[in-house]
Amino acid sequence: MSERKFICVSCPLGCGLTVTLEDSGEVLKVDGNTCPRGESYARSEVKDPRRVFASTVRVKGGKLPVCPVRSRTPAPKGKLFGIAEAVAELEVNAPVKIGQVLIHNVCGTDVDIVASRDLAAV
Amino acid sequence: MSRDIDVLIIGAGPAGVAAGIGARREGAERVVVLERDWDLGGILQQCIHPGFGLRTFKEELTGPEYMHRFIQQAHDEGVEFRTNTMVFQIDKGTNTVWTMNKERGIEHMTPGAIVLTMGCRERPLGAIRIPGTRPAGIYTAGTAQRFVNMEGHMPGKRAVILGSGDIGLIMARRMIWEGAEIEGVYEVMSWPGGLRRNIAQCLDDYGIPFHLKTTVTKIHGRDRLEGVTVAQVDDHMTPIKGTERFVECDTLLLAIGLIPENELSRMAGVEIHPVTGGPVVNDLLQTSDPKIFAAGNVVIVYDLVDNVSDEGLIAGANAAKYAAGKIPADIRRIPVKGGENVRLFSPQYVTGQADTTIYMRVTHPVEQACRVFAEPDLYSQRLRYARPGEMNEVRIKAGQITPDIKEITIDIQPV
Repeated sequence: MSERKFICVSCPLGCGLTVTLEDSGEVLKVDGNTCPRGESYARSEVKDPRRVFASTVRVKGGKLPVCPVRSRTPAPKGKLFGIAEAVAELEVNAPVKIGQVLIHNVCGTDVDIVASRDLAAV
Repeated sequence: MSRDIDVLIIGAGPAGVAAGIGARREGAERVVVLERDWDLGGILQQCIHPGFGLRTFKEELTGPEYMHRFIQQAHDEGVEFRTNTMVFQIDKGTNTVWTMNKERGIEHMTPGAIVLTMGCRERPLGAIRIPGTRPAGIYTAGTAQRFVNMEGHMPGKRAVILGSGDIGLIMARRMIWEGAEIEGVYEVMSWPGGLRRNIAQCLDDYGIPFHLKTTVTKIHGRDRLEGVTVAQVDDHMTPIKGTERFVECDTLLLAIGLIPENELSRMAGVEIHPVTGGPVVNDLLQTSDPKIFAAGNVVIVYDLVDNVSDEGLIAGANAAKYAAGKIPADIRRIPVKGGENVRLFSPQYVTGQADTTIYMRVTHPVEQACRVFAEPDLYSQRLRYARPGEMNEVRIKAGQITPDIKEITIDIQPV
């Protein structure tokens, strides 16, 4: 058996989580969470840690030179820098609509990069 | 009565947009929000990371997504917006509001009620007096955030962050994702300024060192920043000799606190609280001038935008009521006092006209089971801990405010 400790990032409370693992790596129990989100965060953090990625892409002819984007769903933590590079290479044309898919299945993660604001053309 | 505007709101950030919605829903005919920027949304336009609106929308949105939803609601409710419009004066007494706009020129208006929602700004370098030179490369974290997220410029390649407010933590991760290096985050206090989850997901995730009780004691460089000296501090925040260390960097970001932006409030003659730095308000979010209401970070700096929007809705609704003559002049004003562990709180008066939430911060961390309460016997809630970086709340129902209550005391005490 082993223990791992995390700060839950699911909400602003930031609960201190302790995950007890069997030798096989299976989660035996989660302590310290104050809601079910904490439990699922701890389980995911042990097996497949993920984060929402947020950045900007360059925009041609927009009211701003860049448009904010995000991964629609949390992306594998280990692939964030790869995703950052893919997003950095992208340039899109204005106008951009919020929710518009800009990169489908980024870096083979099954996660889409979408625009997170409306950006009008000049 | 011939009146052009019923409720006039200053600032179209989260508080102002919500105030517009609140005022229209309460029945105000003409509700106008003034905004100096070309676009709506205020600071949330540049807060492109997720983490907003979990309570309001039951999902984590980015700042622009959160505002998008509120702005749509405001349009649906018939709130009018005037962008590129700067308020440069509010006359004391008459409450005439003067504005400037490139196309419309200088205008003035005297609405039925005003809601102040100007938000806050960052404490600048000048506020902390660091010895050394003043080269390029020193920015407040929010300025750097605007450069990166809205203007597409990176402020530098290797940064030191002074202060551990949330914006600094968020910017540490943001710059790492854009290929920069963050040498470390330095906090003069013995506890973090920002939320614990931001320490976890912005610093720990990327192995960025976080130094408590350490500060920047000197700035080096002539034209461009070349480095800073950092040193540990003692319990009186005095740098400890022998702990100084030179850190090479081309960028210094400051995340050393936020100050409510109240130049207009002062001009309008509204009483400003010496500790919060915002208007003194009652639970209707009415200031010392009965016609002027205030909500959001202009009143007290909140942790969460959900709270800012909640307060905006309340202020807008009450401003609409006031404009319609539905708030009596002689309402009760029961003072709220902060106990020994309370650094600041808002509102400072309770009227008993509506259910209310009092927001507060402790002076120092209470790292044990404790109780947040309001006397006489109005509210009590157990907490696992209380920390200055995380606001606490006291909730009081209108019906609890009986005629015998002369004063309310709020505090947090270990149990």
